[in-house]
Amino acid sequence: MRSSGIALALSVLGIVFIIIAALYALGVLQLFASTSSGPHYKHAVLFVVLAVASFVAANFARPKAAT
Amino acid sequence: MGLLQGASELFPVSSLGHAVIVPSLLHWGFKQSDPSFVPFLVLLHIGTASALLVLYRDQWVTIIRGFISAALRGQIKTDAERLSMLLLVGTLPAAVLGVYLETRIKTLFASPYVAAGFLVVNGLLMLGFEELRRRRERGATRAEQESQFGEAERISFRAAALVGACQALAFIPGISRSGVTIGGGLLAGLRHQEAARFSFLLATPVILGAGVVEVPGLFARGVPVAEYVAGAVLSGIAAYASARFLLRYFRSGRLDPYGFYCVAAGLVSLALLHFNL
Repeated sequence: MRSSGIALALSVLGIVFIIIAALYALGVLQLFASTSSGPHYKHAVLFVVLAVASFVAANFARPKAAT
Repeated sequence: MGLLQGASELFPVSSLGHAVIVPSLLHWGFKQSDPSFVPFLVLLHIGTASALLVLYRDQWVTIIRGFISAALRGQIKTDAERLSMLLLVGTLPAAVLGVYLETRIKTLFASPYVAAGFLVVNGLLMLGFEELRRRRERGATRAEQESQFGEAERISFRAAALVGACQALAFIPGISRSGVTIGGGLLAGLRHQEAARFSFLLATPVILGAGVVEVPGLFARGVPVAEYVAGAVLSGIAAYASARFLLRYFRSGRLDPYGFYCVAAGLVSLALLHFNL
């Protein structure tokens, strides 16, 4: 299923995941974390991985030029 | 503990279940609630993951190259590229569930009684997976029966995600990560040996990732790092030997013996714990 719209949506999702990862790494975001203060590197790494997966999926969804 | 964890991590018998039950039965002096126990388990897991990386070193090089080329191209062209994407899809659900639920689930179920009970459940699951598999098999010999089923690269992306999500069940002490993923692979149409290979490849980034993010805890005061590293080396050796054995065993072997072992070990453990022997 290839579509520019889906590719754009997945790219935006990837950027959102990067922002969330940064917020967890800086200790700003404490959502669902085991402690209520300090940085949460485990969560940050997870969202970096999710961001990479989103960008990869976006590239797969992007319409390809016919060769 | 290193030998026990390394061997039981890859055998479909639940390493976490054994890590909870055996020290309790043998009256060893440490508990999971002890702050120094987490760094110890972390190092043991890194030892196990390192063994898997060594065992599949050539495949991992191919998989990583395949991932990069497929990701940049936005298209899958080779089996290695497909396998790399299957592993990504299979790893994500376990990673998300692991980060958000692992501690809560382990805290909820960290009791030798519960672990022994779920070990029985794990055994019944193994026997159930094999029973469902037998219904789809044709042929007189094991070779003929296995030949109808496929390789890890041919599994569907939906099945890979489901098998990967099943890994989260292993946060419950007594439920085996390799057991549920091998069983899931069998239901998805893989040969036994291929289901084991997919399970081990799927486990490597999860085990390694879970270990590496906990490494800073090793530098806390009072952690006997040298002893823990020795445990990790033993864990790696046991895991390597276990993986080699299992891959050979699953050429024609089934999950049944491990299913019976888990049911028996769970019931015996429950009895021993109940009578405080």
